[in-house]
Amino acid sequence: MQPYDVSTNPLNTVEWLFAAMECTHIAALALSIGTIAIVDMSLLGMGIKGRSPAQLLRATETWTVAGLILVITAGLALFSSDPLRYYYSPTFRWKMWIMLAGIVFNYTIHRKVALANSSPPISKAAGAVSLALWLSVIFCGLFFAFTAGGY
Amino acid sequence: MSIATLSHAIQSSGIFTAMRQSEVFYPTVLATHLSCIAIFGGMILMTNLRLLGLALRNTPASVVIASTRNPKRIGFVIMIACGILLAGSHLDKYYPNPYFQLKLALLALTGIHGLIFHRGVYYNADLGKDGKLPLVAIVAGATSLVLWLSILICGRWIAYYDDPNAIARLFRALTHLV
Repeated sequence: MQPYDVSTNPLNTVEWLFAAMECTHIAALALSIGTIAIVDMSLLGMGIKGRSPAQLLRATETWTVAGLILVITAGLALFSSDPLRYYYSPTFRWKMWIMLAGIVFNYTIHRKVALANSSPPISKAAGAVSLALWLSVIFCGLFFAFTAGGY
Repeated sequence: MSIATLSHAIQSSGIFTAMRQSEVFYPTVLATHLSCIAIFGGMILMTNLRLLGLALRNTPASVVIASTRNPKRIGFVIMIACGILLAGSHLDKYYPNPYFQLKLALLALTGIHGLIFHRGVYYNADLGKDGKLPLVAIVAGATSLVLWLSILICGRWIAYYDDPNAIARLFRALTHLV
């Protein structure tokens, strides 16, 4: 088997492709985290007038899945541009674990709480945890870019 | 005073110097800027998809617009504040950057966009009440979507601009694609 050579990856040879992939990653982030945040805000009591968290979840869930697929696909492409650098970065590993926690939380507790239209203490806690998880993913992603000088 | 001197005076002032020199301050502000794209950009995106009739179809467009107005305003203020810190700390490098200039021009256009569709869409309490969206709503949604995506792309491209030939190369690359 041929060893994988990053210098042949189009992301490293086509000048604008890496930046274009980053743009896709960021736009898809607005779609995935943005739609989850609409439900979170609703759980926190700052939602869309006359719509329950359950109704908002139902109305946005397809967009969330589409956004997650797009953001992760673009993310994997970015990862392929220099896998070892990402793999050995503690910040990147944090990002992956928190993202995993975010996805699991989103499709278990968060979903249950939103669909049950739970009472304020529980719904507010679920909304806050969800927002905190996803914002942590973004912060890790960004800090990775600033701390990734060496392995 | 030339723009170059003015720019240098601004980026040399206290807060922008601190911003540039800190290993934590700068990435924190940038991460906050990005978080705003996720949360408030997400709201703009969903509003536009609603105006295009693609999402949140069970909620009248006027309700989506009115309910997200205040959060969007708060997000916009945080976003601009972060943007000023980010741009100000490297102003000498940014002000001649064509993508930075284009981004500012596009931001100004979003203001004009808001004014143009002020009465017909954004402050129209009856918008979509009868279940149908007028053409003006679709036009507003589509142009807003294009504007904000272009702003996002310009924002990312600012970081990759290093020499005046970069844009020419980009266009050559794009023409090869088409």
